[in-house]
Amino acid sequence: MASFTATSISIISLAKPSLVPSARISSPNSVSLSIKGRRFPSITLQPTGRRFQVTCATKQETVQKVCDIVKKQLALPEGSSVTGESKFAALGADSLDTVEIVMGLEEEFGISVEEESAQSITTVQEAADMIDKLLESKTD
Amino acid sequence: MSSLLDKARLMMNIHCLGRNLVTASSSLHHVQLPGQKEAHFWYVLPDEIKDTNLLNQYFEILSPSEKENVFRMSGEQLKKRAILARALVRTTLARYQTNCQIDPKALRFKKNSYGKPEVDWQYTEDWSLPQLHFNLSHTSSLIACGVTVGSPIGIDVEEKQRRLKNDVLAFARRYFSPDEIEMLTQIADPELRRLELIKLWTLKEAYVKAVGKGFSNSPFNTFTVRLGHRTKTGIHLRPRVMSKAQEITVEPPDESKNVSGNWQFVLLELDGSHYAAICIEQESTNRGKGSIPVNLKLRKTIPFVEDECILGTEKAVVISGLTTLLECE
Repeated sequence: MASFTATSISIISLAKPSLVPSARISSPNSVSLSIKGRRFPSITLQPTGRRFQVTCATKQETVQKVCDIVKKQLALPEGSSVTGESKFAALGADSLDTVEIVMGLEEEFGISVEEESAQSITTVQEAADMIDKLLESKTD
Repeated sequence: MSSLLDKARLMMNIHCLGRNLVTASSSLHHVQLPGQKEAHFWYVLPDEIKDTNLLNQYFEILSPSEKENVFRMSGEQLKKRAILARALVRTTLARYQTNCQIDPKALRFKKNSYGKPEVDWQYTEDWSLPQLHFNLSHTSSLIACGVTVGSPIGIDVEEKQRRLKNDVLAFARRYFSPDEIEMLTQIADPELRRLELIKLWTLKEAYVKAVGKGFSNSPFNTFTVRLGHRTKTGIHLRPRVMSKAQEITVEPPDESKNVSGNWQFVLLELDGSHYAAICIEQESTNRGKGSIPVNLKLRKTIPFVEDECILGTEKAVVISGLTTLLECE
């Protein structure tokens, strides 16, 4: 079964060949899927690099997970706004919070963060970028 | 003639202040510079400051970029903390005058090549105390500024009740040195272990901040802080009484100098609620003569309002480190 969100398509391969969707790339930016003969509306994709949309979704998910970990560490009240731009210091994180956040990120993502990298992270987005880079180098 | 003296003093003040004749610093109590082997520790308790007029006064002495930074903080408590932290640094340093009234607003700051904040003497008119070092630390309930002359200083404060989100030993295994992990593992009681971790953390932070080269140049797991054998010091310390607590050591010693650096530590418990660690560099000429205690002047302050010299009562207990609590003038 193919599932898609507004920004990404992830295609899971299944045992049953008949369920594997066939994707026809009709133009560089749009893909239409047909599964069991039913056509799905074609989806216009944002231009990205060589990597297919999956990268964008991962980044968004990463940012979200980092936000959750930060909110938990800093015990922020419900409804606190934490976004990619949020600076740890502006949220009230001190150095002990920051190293605990790094520990939380290492656990959550199964990565290992160098002291140098840990020191250079000041925002949620920077943390997410670092995580994605580390994850990429793991799979390479 | 007294009027000549007054005129001279007035001229001096005008010369010192530049444009401003009347400044906020007129209500700051001026103090003597710290001597050699002496550190001054000033702290403010945010909960004691509720007057919005006073907070505005503090806000006004901040630089434009500091004000911007305050606005970037999320929520009123964090904004207040940011204002108090910068106001504490500025008002504290402004007290160390030679013969001028110093405007706390006139101070300029810069960062060393590793990002450690320091005073930018180049832009502070008519006032040159280039040997003055400072370091700032804050928790939500206590903000502190340490000051020395001629010696790098690092301080760190932490609430005793600080709960880690992670398990204490897991945290230590991730960040501390093997000897420190071993020491913590030996402590059976989890609460005592947690307190010990907080103490170690403040000491290690203070050390790295004193060295001033950033955390990546002194990763926590590359050095061990030992508190030595702790003897319970009395709650009531008379002025000028030597603390009987053992020395705190760091190993391996800082190897960035030709002679391996010699760092001295003091660990205090403030108000029964906070640990405060102070780290300064011992003069190389004193090495080999046995350790000379750090002279410490402790002051609780509400800038522009009142200062209180803390002389080792319930408000301050020296937990470890060779130190003498001095009377303030």
